[in-house]
Amino acid sequence: MPMRSSSSAAYIQSTPPSSNGVPSTRPTSLTIHPSALFSILDHYLRRTDAQHRVIGTLLGTRTDSTVDVKSAFAVLHSETDEQVAVDMDYHRAMYDLCARVRPNETIVGWYSTGSDLNTYSALIQNFYSQETAPNQAVHVALDTGTEEGKGAGVKAYVSSPVGIFPKPENCVFVPIPCELRFHEAERSGLDLLLSPNPSSNQTDLDVLASSLTDVQNMLNRVLAYVQSVLRGEVVGDKAVGRYLMDVLGTGVEEDGGWTAGLQDTLMITYLANLVRSQAEVSARLALTTAA
Amino acid sequence: MAAPSMAAALAASLPAPQAAPTPAAPTYEAIPASMSKAIDIEAEIPLTCVQLDGIVITKILKHSREAFSTTAHGLLLGLDLDGILEVSNSFALPNHNSDDDEKATKSIARYQQSMLRSLKEVQGDDNVVGFYQATSLGAFFNQSLIDTQAIHQDRLRHGGVVVVHDISQTARGNASFRAFKLTPAFMDAYRRANFSTAGMISHRLTFASILEEIPLRVRTNALLSSYLNTLATPSTSTFSGAHPGVATTSALPPSYSVLDIGNMGLTKNLEQVAEAIDNYRTEEGNVAYLSRQIAREKLRAETYVAKRKEENARRVAQGLNALPEEDVSRLFRIPPEPSRLESMLLLGQVDAYAKSLESNAGTGLVKMYAAKASSGV
Repeated sequence: MPMRSSSSAAYIQSTPPSSNGVPSTRPTSLTIHPSALFSILDHYLRRTDAQHRVIGTLLGTRTDSTVDVKSAFAVLHSETDEQVAVDMDYHRAMYDLCARVRPNETIVGWYSTGSDLNTYSALIQNFYSQETAPNQAVHVALDTGTEEGKGAGVKAYVSSPVGIFPKPENCVFVPIPCELRFHEAERSGLDLLLSPNPSSNQTDLDVLASSLTDVQNMLNRVLAYVQSVLRGEVVGDKAVGRYLMDVLGTGVEEDGGWTAGLQDTLMITYLANLVRSQAEVSARLALTTAA
Repeated sequence: MAAPSMAAALAASLPAPQAAPTPAAPTYEAIPASMSKAIDIEAEIPLTCVQLDGIVITKILKHSREAFSTTAHGLLLGLDLDGILEVSNSFALPNHNSDDDEKATKSIARYQQSMLRSLKEVQGDDNVVGFYQATSLGAFFNQSLIDTQAIHQDRLRHGGVVVVHDISQTARGNASFRAFKLTPAFMDAYRRANFSTAGMISHRLTFASILEEIPLRVRTNALLSSYLNTLATPSTSTFSGAHPGVATTSALPPSYSVLDIGNMGLTKNLEQVAEAIDNYRTEEGNVAYLSRQIAREKLRAETYVAKRKEENARRVAQGLNALPEEDVSRLFRIPPEPSRLESMLLLGQVDAYAKSLESNAGTGLVKMYAAKASSGV
């Protein structure tokens, strides 16, 4: 599930120079957790007026070829036309604090809002590569969508030195695919954020009802399409037709276990009610005096 | 008279001391009425609602899931504005082991301070307004939560709120965040540490009246919601012959996991209910044992006093001196009445487990009927 606005970049898998004899594993893809993404956006919102873009550190875990970004924190930096300065002490201190809570997360790279890559990016990338040695640092450029002409999106890069004599301020950023990854259990939290009127007091039945109405609407749309094809108004797409037949043709045939399951569920409901009333009564009883 | 005259001459030669300019009397302007809602120095406006930012929700979700147990807790940062407590950020607190209490609490305090300092440097909020706790299957009544909340309620403006996040309900499809405060009646009893039977009666405490719930709502700022919507819009693939199942992709496809039929959560919930009831019975047994002991001691003390009185009466009748009335409480140590807080909390756990069991079973019932209806077609 790519996250960028469309780009047709080809991914170059170049082998790293083996001059030092140690093959460094180059990450080939990146996954981001939503909380890291939102922290970056929040930091962007809180920047002072003087800062055009903000940077920070990414924390996460890495496997052989992918990097999982789990969280992010902001780092003080100042950028003028002549120089760029990053507060390294702050970065170290924050990393120590975060490591206490989540000991398995390490520094994997850095982020910046705004997607232009210039010499400063190369210098900062060099600094972070030293931090993440012997692994490569990834750079995530987040477009907030607030600038003209650039849609919101996330791009991820790894760097490799370029030029006859590799200097710290020259490097080429190689894009790598990145996607949003979160656990299935966190899905409903994101749904809550996506819904237009989030109030956190929906019961389970409310959520079920809204889900069922969604499915019903989808079925209505498909039904309207099929009926218009049958009436001859629209030329049917054969691929769509075959797909629908596959999906909807499978039915559920077994209702032997249905009554047993129903009885079990009813019994559990009754038991739960009983326990609740018992708890309430005994709470009141505890208030009677023992003479 | 030379001296005074010299002093007078000296004084005369000095420039007259200028009248010290009277400092402009500070004028206290009353806060204009339009701003009085924003600047609320005395924390007078009561809290009516708690508002969580989107980033807080994702951070709490992530932390609770990673902690693998229900001890995930952390602090909430934000600001209260016109009766609404806006929580804009949060961070996790490291777990403290129950051994080496002294060092653990100090290190946590240091962690908290350095975190707040660091956040302040990047213009984040650094005002603690409460804490959050993750729980599972709805049971969050435990001693540590109450202790922490009582401490916060004393020290923070408006008392702190505790936001409870239920992992199991979120996994089932309904993201559940609830905000609570301790009721004033309970705070009163807690301060006096008076949880004997008489104390509870006077405060009318049941497990339901320990915490009061505050309505909670979620806010996403404009940038965040536009970003999320961009991620969630499906983008059609440009490949014309694509299979319909994969033709449109988006970073956040809609999920219908709430429609799954299954009874996986129910057995675990039943076990928890049974376990909680067992714990409650053990606790009640302990309380009963202690009360029986107290009653026995009281009986012995009373019989001793009665015997003494009788003996004194006998002696006075015989004309001898009365024996001194000894202080009964020094002879018989009557243990204090046991605190019934623990059993009340356990009862609250039982009730919470039963409630979540009931709602699970209820939705399961609806889904089963729905499946039967659709398959019968």
